[in-house]
Amino acid sequence: MTLIEFDRVTFVHQTGTVALRDVSLRVSKGETVAIVGENGAGKTTLVRHINGLLKPSSGAVRVDGVDTRKITTATLSRKAGIAFQNPDHQLFSESVESEVKFALRNFGFTEEAIAERCDWALNFFGLAEYRKTSPLVLSGGEKKRLTLACILAWDPDIVVLDEPTVGQDALQKEKLSQIVKMLQATGKTVIIVSHDIEFLWPLQPRLVVMSGGRIVADGPTGQVMADKDVLVGARVTQPQLLRLYLALRVRPDKPFFDVPTAERWIAEAAP
Amino acid sequence: MDRGGRPLVYWLSGGFVFRKVVSPFHKLDPRVKLLVSGEFFVLSLAASSVVEVALVLAAIVSVAAVAKSLKRIGRTIVFSSGFAAFILVVNILFGLGVPNAVLYSVRFLAIISSTSVFFVTTSPDELEQIMRWWKLPRDVVFAFVTAVRFIPVVMLDAFQIMDAQKSRGLELEKGSIPRRVRNTIPVLIPLVVNSVIRSGELAEAMESRAYGSSPKPTSLYGLSARWYDWSVLVLGIVLMVGTLYIYRSVRFPF
Repeated sequence: MTLIEFDRVTFVHQTGTVALRDVSLRVSKGETVAIVGENGAGKTTLVRHINGLLKPSSGAVRVDGVDTRKITTATLSRKAGIAFQNPDHQLFSESVESEVKFALRNFGFTEEAIAERCDWALNFFGLAEYRKTSPLVLSGGEKKRLTLACILAWDPDIVVLDEPTVGQDALQKEKLSQIVKMLQATGKTVIIVSHDIEFLWPLQPRLVVMSGGRIVADGPTGQVMADKDVLVGARVTQPQLLRLYLALRVRPDKPFFDVPTAERWIAEAAP
Repeated sequence: MDRGGRPLVYWLSGGFVFRKVVSPFHKLDPRVKLLVSGEFFVLSLAASSVVEVALVLAAIVSVAAVAKSLKRIGRTIVFSSGFAAFILVVNILFGLGVPNAVLYSVRFLAIISSTSVFFVTTSPDELEQIMRWWKLPRDVVFAFVTAVRFIPVVMLDAFQIMDAQKSRGLELEKGSIPRRVRNTIPVLIPLVVNSVIRSGELAEAMESRAYGSSPKPTSLYGLSARWYDWSVLVLGIVLMVGTLYIYRSVRFPF
């Protein structure tokens, strides 16, 4: 079932810069899609269409069959939650707790549900101890987790993560990876915009490569990552694990296969 | 008109923000541009009839055309027309008569447009040079010019914050006026916090690059008036004096 549909979308900025050129993309319910590409490729512009922050200059974007031009962002956001790259662009409340509750109140949840969901989100993201702390004094990593907690608290069907690993240490990245896997397991549609190939590789999402406002490749991660010409054109590098595998050529009879984890690589590569 | 998904105010604000354009007016010495803008300002204030102030407005539009900035000045006029309409209505309601009400509202448009001509055609660097030429304290000049330079950055910040809050269900496009005003709090707080953080970071970065280490730093660029600057300067003064004389000697019907 198609949940998000970009139908020949072109988007032109006020300055005249064409950010998206005739982009068509369908994302099914429960799918995990990673969007990669060089800076200025149009990745963030693309995902900002999902909750109607941007409206296409031509073409149409439909979310769950609804044209995003016919509904406000605030309404669409109940279905599609976007975690933005810079947490400082959204934190404003007196406490971490009220920050999480902000969106829940906007969406009209009951006070009982708000308290329950807030507790769950704070515990899940390890922020319960900061419940009464001002969000403005949290560290960069904690702020990032708080923005994710704010989104997941209202349980949207679509979760969009814009550069989720920026400013996160290795442990937090691992935790983030687990969160994405949890979202996948619960049937959420997850869209990740990232330059961090090493983070995306173990998740093995459907990979969409963008360059110059166009989609230049779209397919399973392993398949797209094998196409060096596309990757070079979009300034995307292969993950180190894959490069090592290809360089060693331990299985010349099988020049390429998916190697999402080192463990699987060892198992598959072993004679 | 497509505004790239940005609010109307973003489009309108372009009427006051410098944009690099190759035009005879942009090439002028910034002091001459300031003088021309000041002359329009004085003539708008001195005009005592609708015809006079309309002529000044026409002259401003002509200069904007020479400066290839007609669209930007047009935005200023669109931006100001709401206030101009308010002035018109208030003056009529207070019994000043339609001609006077029209005069005041058109004068308002002319005054705003005259300042817009200067800001649209003068870069922050040129503004800095003028302030230095006035021998203003260096820190004051730096603070003022940095504030001007950061206007577009702060505006972009504001729109990104609005996007983030709308994505959390904050309704900024619907509801009563008091509700909309209340809903700006989640936008204003991060905006102020970000601006304070940025100013602190900027100060540290400037100090790290030896800002303030020399009591009399030299400037990379300097002001030098050339023959066409002098020509425009003289022509501007002659035209202003001539116009003021016409204001005094000719009585327009309205």
